[in-house]
Amino acid sequence: MNVAKLLEKRRVDWTELERLCEAMEVRGSTDSVSPKHRGAAGVARFSSLYRAACADLALADAYQLPPNTVTYLHRLVARAHNQLYRTHSPTPGGWVQILFREAPQRIFNDGCVRVASLVFFGLFALAMVMGAAEEQFPGFAERICGSKMLEATSESFKEPLAVNPEEYTARAAFYIRHNTGIGLQCFAYGILLVPCLVTLAYNAIVLGATFGYMSRDGVEGADHFFEFVTAHGPFELTAIALSAGAGLRLGMGLFYTRGLSRVDSVRRAGRDAVPVMAASAAMFVLAAFTEGFLSPSGAPYLIKVAWSILSSGLITLYFVVLGFPRNESDGGSLVRTARYADLVDSRRPIDGVDDDAA
Amino acid sequence: MAAVQPLDTTIAVVTPENIAFEYQLAGPFRRLPAYLIDLAVRWGVILTVGFTLLLLGGMLTVLSTFYGPLTFAFIVILIFVINWFYGTILEAYFNGRTIGKWFCGIRVIEVDGRPVSPRSALLRNLLRVADLAPVAAINTWDPDIPPVYFIPTGIIGLVSMMMTRRMQRLGDLAAGTMVVVDERKWQLPIAKVDDARVPALASYVPGDYLITRKMARTLATYVERRHFLTPPRRREVARNLSDPLIDRFEFRRDIDPDLLLYALYYKTFLADSTTEPADLGPLAGYSPLAKDAGKPSGLGEPLQSVVLEELGKPAQRQPAQRQPAQPVNRQPAQAPLGDWRQASERASIQPGGEPSRAETPAGESPAPPRKMPGDDQ
Repeated sequence: MNVAKLLEKRRVDWTELERLCEAMEVRGSTDSVSPKHRGAAGVARFSSLYRAACADLALADAYQLPPNTVTYLHRLVARAHNQLYRTHSPTPGGWVQILFREAPQRIFNDGCVRVASLVFFGLFALAMVMGAAEEQFPGFAERICGSKMLEATSESFKEPLAVNPEEYTARAAFYIRHNTGIGLQCFAYGILLVPCLVTLAYNAIVLGATFGYMSRDGVEGADHFFEFVTAHGPFELTAIALSAGAGLRLGMGLFYTRGLSRVDSVRRAGRDAVPVMAASAAMFVLAAFTEGFLSPSGAPYLIKVAWSILSSGLITLYFVVLGFPRNESDGGSLVRTARYADLVDSRRPIDGVDDDAA
Repeated sequence: MAAVQPLDTTIAVVTPENIAFEYQLAGPFRRLPAYLIDLAVRWGVILTVGFTLLLLGGMLTVLSTFYGPLTFAFIVILIFVINWFYGTILEAYFNGRTIGKWFCGIRVIEVDGRPVSPRSALLRNLLRVADLAPVAAINTWDPDIPPVYFIPTGIIGLVSMMMTRRMQRLGDLAAGTMVVVDERKWQLPIAKVDDARVPALASYVPGDYLITRKMARTLATYVERRHFLTPPRRREVARNLSDPLIDRFEFRRDIDPDLLLYALYYKTFLADSTTEPADLGPLAGYSPLAKDAGKPSGLGEPLQSVVLEELGKPAQRQPAQRQPAQPVNRQPAQAPLGDWRQASERASIQPGGEPSRAETPAGESPAPPRKMPGDDQ
């Protein structure tokens, strides 16, 4: 029972495993350790050393290894484990799968997306009507957005839209940063539910009130304003609603667990929310490029309207055609379902045999 | 299961090899510096690349005015991408570590021990905003500044970390990840015995004394930590265990408790029955046994004359040794610490004393140095 001797014997293997780990961490392969460890031989050696370390750890109690050594072994095994079972680097195919298969299906079935859309578009429409109806709700838009802000908006659309083409990229970049940032923030706050709803409602009301104000009679720059927002509107507004929906899904997972433990519930909600968020991000990018390149350009209004209709159609197709519930995914599942009657039927002959035997 | 686990920040992970190894969880005090380093790196990269782009764009403006806005666009997109996706990209490609995490020796893994998947990395990094909430306004401190909410307080994440077993913030909870300590210190610790009295005292531990696993663990823990204790503290800690042992071994009461535990550690982990007995040198002949108290010379049995001379003045001899934990003992006749004789001598002197130990010294005890008296001559 000489532990020191045992350790001396094992230490050689452990040190070799350590060196292999180091090489794997730095270069991702064991080639640099020694010529003996090149290629497949290195991998095989690594795995056998790892298994040996695992076995040592399993027997640590029987060997009566000192606690320090056990701690060392825990770390060594953990380190080798991290190298053996590595992160799968993201593949483009995986993202395509998420975007075009998983996301639409989720969005179609997700109650949270519906709630977020209702809140967003409902408040947006309400604020727009209230902002436009000057007699019934005097000063509504001004109180929401501040008259200075509204005047500045009106002022900026006085001139016909014809931004210098050189500035398109800069504008697109700005919109990507600003709007997608808002969307991502909406998503992140979703896990706390209330901040997400507040952000969503705030954006909906401000946007609605601005739209309402601009649609009033006699406001300068109204035509140019609507010409500006037509092209990118469908993508951007949908994207905001979607990201909020994904966030709300997370929050619901935290507060409404449906029989799971709270942690598991949040994890599941997180898995479900990622595809929706990815779709939302893709839409934000599309919206930003539209907003940067097409919306401020001097292109004829017809083109912008056409693009708007096209993008709305694409979104509808995406949600409804790709998102319509399908059953094919059940085929890949390891969990089989069976009806009770089938199970009972299959048992009957066995019962009969038993009866005969009895 | 949870009841027997120590109250510690470790979490066990069962691998496909059916081994449960432990990870040490990283708490807020390890993760905050990592976050701050990441923040600095993020803005460092943005500033460096942005400055380079500006220089490049400025030079290219000579050719065309198109490059100015293009540069601006690149910088804006750069800020956006780096701020939102820095963590995701690094964690997905570098096995769960960002630069800050690498510096602080921590790593993100899934709760089941697998490395973090890109999807989990994306989710946990996007949700960082929620964890940093609520944001404080800067006008909390200076009322003149308009209320701009941009100072993250991180209270939500902190509360979440305190309330979950794996110290997860909300993003970790949603993504099913946890942050563990991934230390780079790689020493294989085993204490070395540099005190000559230890192997000798160990040889007096009765061979029929079986060291249990719990005892072995206790001894190892004690010896690992004794370096950090002062001698009086060592004695204080060791006494709880050594007092019953002294009774059981029939040792004299004034043996240093620290030395006794150290000797047991030596016997458990280091001693090898096939190795040569320790060179006892001039200290040979002392006995820790209670019944040998007052017989410093080993009862005058055949010993080398040199040894006999040495043994004549034990009190002067003792302080010359390296004895950090030696209790003060002013009686010259009593050697205060572990002294020794050889097992065979003891057997010959005390025939009825410990028959089982004396007659079969090699059978049960792996450790006692069995030197025949003739070997010394």
